[in-house]
Amino acid sequence: MQGRINHASFDTLIIGGGIAGCEAALNLANNEFKVLLVEKDLSIGGKMILLSKVFPTLDCSACITTPKVSEVSRHPGIMLFTGSEVKKIVRIAYNNFDATVVKNPRYVIAEDCTGCQLCEEACPVIVRDQYQMDLVGRKAAYIPFIIASPRIAAIDIENCTLCGACEKVCPTNCIDFTQEPEEYQVTVKTVVLATGFKLFDPLMMPRYGYGLYKNVITSMQMERQLAPTRPFNTILRPGDGKVPDKIAYVLCTGSRDATVENPICSQICCMYSIKQAQLLMGALPMADVTIYYINIRSFGKGFEEFYEQAKGMGVNFIKGKIGRISEKENGNMMLRYEDINKGIVKESEHDMVVLSVGVLANQDTATFFSNDELKLDPFKFVYQVDSFASPARTSIDGVFVAGTASGPMDIPDSILSAGAASSEAIGYLIQKQ
Amino acid sequence: MEVEKGKTFKYLKDKREVSSGVIENLKYFNKMKKMIIGALTESKMTIPQLTKKINMPESEIVYYLMTLVKYGYVQTAEVDDMDEYFYYKIKNNG
Ligand code: SF4
Ligand code: SF4
Repeated sequence: MQGRINHASFDTLIIGGGIAGCEAALNLANNEFKVLLVEKDLSIGGKMILLSKVFPTLDCSACITTPKVSEVSRHPGIMLFTGSEVKKIVRIAYNNFDATVVKNPRYVIAEDCTGCQLCEEACPVIVRDQYQMDLVGRKAAYIPFIIASPRIAAIDIENCTLCGACEKVCPTNCIDFTQEPEEYQVTVKTVVLATGFKLFDPLMMPRYGYGLYKNVITSMQMERQLAPTRPFNTILRPGDGKVPDKIAYVLCTGSRDATVENPICSQICCMYSIKQAQLLMGALPMADVTIYYINIRSFGKGFEEFYEQAKGMGVNFIKGKIGRISEKENGNMMLRYEDINKGIVKESEHDMVVLSVGVLANQDTATFFSNDELKLDPFKFVYQVDSFASPARTSIDGVFVAGTASGPMDIPDSILSAGAASSEAIGYLIQKQ
Repeated sequence: MEVEKGKTFKYLKDKREVSSGVIENLKYFNKMKKMIIGALTESKMTIPQLTKKINMPESEIVYYLMTLVKYGYVQTAEVDDMDEYFYYKIKNNG
């Protein structure tokens, strides 16, 4: 439910509309609690809605995510604010918080937009499409992606030339350049932090050549290339449009690496790389896919079988630590690595390299609270005061954590964690009633 | 101030300056679009052939060409004999 309020009270404020935030919101709202869900992005669904398929079942990611996000968008018990940010949360009483939320202008009247995309067609401006991981362009007037929820256009004002073409064609006259940021004060009894994670930026590891060599891409860029709503018609090297033949994955890019101050395991990269390798073999049956790894951590239900399945399909696994990546004149990449089993340094040539980037904490979370201290763990994820018996509890009474805000985890674990956070929030709300 | 519906861009134009970077970006896209569409009007081409013809970096051609595919100006045709590069052609141009 998209709506207008300036001052209102809710049972729970959920910060973050990824899969964990959506799950927590639905659990609370289905139990008759009033929820305000605040999402920074223009659509809910988080990173999951952008994935191709999920491991280890190879179910379509969008098929799982879209019913959930649509239910969140339409639920009468959930007030949804997209393109909005929580600025401040102040405890005003034992079980009451005052939150300041700012809704950034979309320059489109949400209630009147039909999602017809005529504005997008008319807009002359092209900029890199962040939802396609910069592989292709998008307009300055745009619907974020095809299954965005809510499916409402937005104007990227930083890249807009103010030519007015979009406004002229909009059949419902809903483009409105007079919009300004709106501030809301809300009172809430509990808060669920579902602020998710950040992906490691491989520019931090210049020896891998990301940003310098066009045929070194991130796993999220490959994920988009594999998705049905992909930026290219097939899998292509961004450097020259060649269909790649030999593709290498570099696991633990930015994870388990003290040199980039992230010594922990990201928990998902082994498995999503194995998943992508299987999908690549389906998309490019003649291609060679090699995964360079330190250890394969296939710890979850069905994961080891999924790993074995990839081996059976012909994916090469090399226990090797990549030292440096360099580019040949034909755009191919040379990987210099230590063969860990043999203890020798080797080189191999690939058409394209995918960096399996890891998970980092989203540090925005700690800045929300002004008169309580939200404790973080040594890796800047939200600290769980009782991680065994009550994993959703944080250092602030009435504030719970869901999903990857508390640490790296995969999708099923995020959903489980959101279930735990919403149950704890419900228990807390009932006790305080 | 009463702002006329359907012409609100004028209101913001009075208040906000459009940066030169945004204008340059638009000009550059239009230039690339003209060159790519011009080249493909003559015949279908692969990206290496387009690169030779219009003498721009290959990675930029990939980006702009794929954007033109996305917005329906260009379409993907068959792959070349080596199964390495696709041909691209003007949409609905045979
Ligand atoms: S006013 Fe801005 S968003 Fe609208 S068509 Fe022109 S450039 Fe695009
Ligand atoms: S033209 Fe108007 S109604 Fe259609 S998508 Fe754009 S803003 Fe929405």
